[in-house]
Amino acid sequence: MRHYTDYPSFSEALVGFVQQARRAGFSVGIQGSKDTVAAALADLWLDRDIFEHALTALMVQDPAERESFSTLYRRFWRQRGSAVSDKRTYRNKKTVVKKGQQTAVMLGRGKTDEGRQSEGAKTATGASRREQIKHTDFRKLSLPDSQLLDELSEKLIREMSLRLKRRRRKAKRGRVDIAQSIRRNLQRGGMILDLAHTAPKREKFRLLILLDISGSMDKYSFYLLKFLWALRHHFAQVEAFAFSTKLMRITDYLLAKDREWSLHLVSQYVTHWSSGTKIGECLRTFNEQYAKRFLNGKTLTIVLSDGLDTGEPQVLAEAMEKIKLRSKKLIWLNPLKGMSGYQPIQRGMKAALPAVQHFGSAHNFASLLALENILADA
Amino acid sequence: MVDHPRDFIPLIDELGYVIEEDLATVLYLMMKLEKPLLLEGNPGVGKTQIAYLLSDLLNCELIRLQCYEGLDVNNAIYEWNYQKQLLAIKIHEGGDKSASEKERLIFGEEYLLRRPLLRAISSTKTQVLLIDEIDRADEEFEAFLLEVLSDFQISIPELGTIRAQQKPIVVLTSNRTRELSDALKRRCLYHWVDYPSMEKELKIIKKHLPNLERQLAEQIATYVQRIRKLQLDKLPGIAETIDWARGIALFPNDEAAMYKSLACLLKSESDRQVVAEAIFSENVP
Repeated sequence: MRHYTDYPSFSEALVGFVQQARRAGFSVGIQGSKDTVAAALADLWLDRDIFEHALTALMVQDPAERESFSTLYRRFWRQRGSAVSDKRTYRNKKTVVKKGQQTAVMLGRGKTDEGRQSEGAKTATGASRREQIKHTDFRKLSLPDSQLLDELSEKLIREMSLRLKRRRRKAKRGRVDIAQSIRRNLQRGGMILDLAHTAPKREKFRLLILLDISGSMDKYSFYLLKFLWALRHHFAQVEAFAFSTKLMRITDYLLAKDREWSLHLVSQYVTHWSSGTKIGECLRTFNEQYAKRFLNGKTLTIVLSDGLDTGEPQVLAEAMEKIKLRSKKLIWLNPLKGMSGYQPIQRGMKAALPAVQHFGSAHNFASLLALENILADA
Repeated sequence: MVDHPRDFIPLIDELGYVIEEDLATVLYLMMKLEKPLLLEGNPGVGKTQIAYLLSDLLNCELIRLQCYEGLDVNNAIYEWNYQKQLLAIKIHEGGDKSASEKERLIFGEEYLLRRPLLRAISSTKTQVLLIDEIDRADEEFEAFLLEVLSDFQISIPELGTIRAQQKPIVVLTSNRTRELSDALKRRCLYHWVDYPSMEKELKIIKKHLPNLERQLAEQIATYVQRIRKLQLDKLPGIAETIDWARGIALFPNDEAAMYKSLACLLKSESDRQVVAEAIFSENVP
């Protein structure tokens, strides 16, 4: 990383800093660059603390970014040799080394059965093959089938999103538009005989998804994460969390337009793939740290998990009850429910069920698409 | 007004507010760059107060738009005075005006009801415009605000575009119940308002209750800082701290005064129980 003294002039150093901030992921547009120069011209640069506060206001848009911005600022503008560690870089390196194995599992390569064939999809072709893939259990998908499903899922979720929007638009008429009604009835001396209505307002919901990424979910979590990415790109308000033995918010990593890059980011930053399962404790953490912010009467909360909890059932039951109270609807989609003869008798699942308002399966793409009916009725 | 951000601090102190260097810098930058300021933070940290502070500092009117779900143009920008329009139609009934003339007449400025955004834009004096809890409004409204925040103008189909004669000082607040769009954030300076530090909280208490003993004020500030670390449904904000200090002052020489006046600080029975057990167990009857 370059230092301000590496630039021939102060103005070039300013531009250099803006570029470094952009490379580090801070959102600084052309106007941001102009404002930076304006702040410097207001003589704020003469005091490094004040200048840091000013640039923080201009370039940081999230409280979580403040620390890494401060590190970037200090490395660039402070005296050479000052002992400021680059925590951001350090964290990245550490994560990459430790998580090679976890990344492989997360990307669907770690624990798959080599040479496995999709039982249901291997002989079909064209439209019928696509239809079969939709109904094939994620565990049984081969690599080519998986690629075909990727293409298909993108299209189907886009269509689902459109259908939901249209259905909601038709749902009810807007309120009376008095200005338009008066205008329309001017010829009748203002006697309102013909009412005009505003465009109907869509009722919206928020989606909050809690994805189980513990070891027992390995064969599903990869596909479910792709599903989350697609949902995030077709619905305006989607929040996503991954949990196993701890909970982590992954919404921001799902924002990347390129799906593979987005999955790569998740694999780099989530440190607990394929570990144990503490559903109750993770949901309790969610309630303590995030519920107030993300749950309200318009939130549909979806838990994607097999329910194989190793913690205390009481903790899970209480956490579920709290989530239910704060949500519009609490949905649990369990991949094991797609297996014939499955009964939700594991102690974790049993503890969670009283709070669950819809219990469905999530073992293949068709079962995920069935979510459309739940969303439409919400 | 001032030549350096630090010059703000004593000025603001005289007005009865406590601010630190980072916020003073942001306010200074806001004035210099004429950009809106987006304040994010938990409820009760004093975001709205910053708009009041600016209004006091600049000695100008504060126009407040409280956002809520379903807030629309009619409530935020303008609405036509329908009763007056209908009366005008009746008055001109049978007159020689054509329909288009009547339409021009009743959709003129005289029949316009100015709501907060339009009032702020069309004012000839500098105003502080507070758009409070923008995260509660719908995304459509947020998109509509972009025109106001970047160009300081509003388009009304019947009247055309109204440009600000004097740019208002715009403060937006958000409790982060949802993410705001990047487009909105790009148009604003951003400042995260945290719960006050022990030192700042003590200054605030002294500011509001100058007669309170220093030792008691320190004790109150210390307890509030500890209480904010507990897992509560609603963490106490600055206003609650001041209320609590006022409540405690009502029970002089009473050792259980803090416990007795907890209702000023905590707003639910479960929170009261958590705090009572964690901090005031010796005072619980």
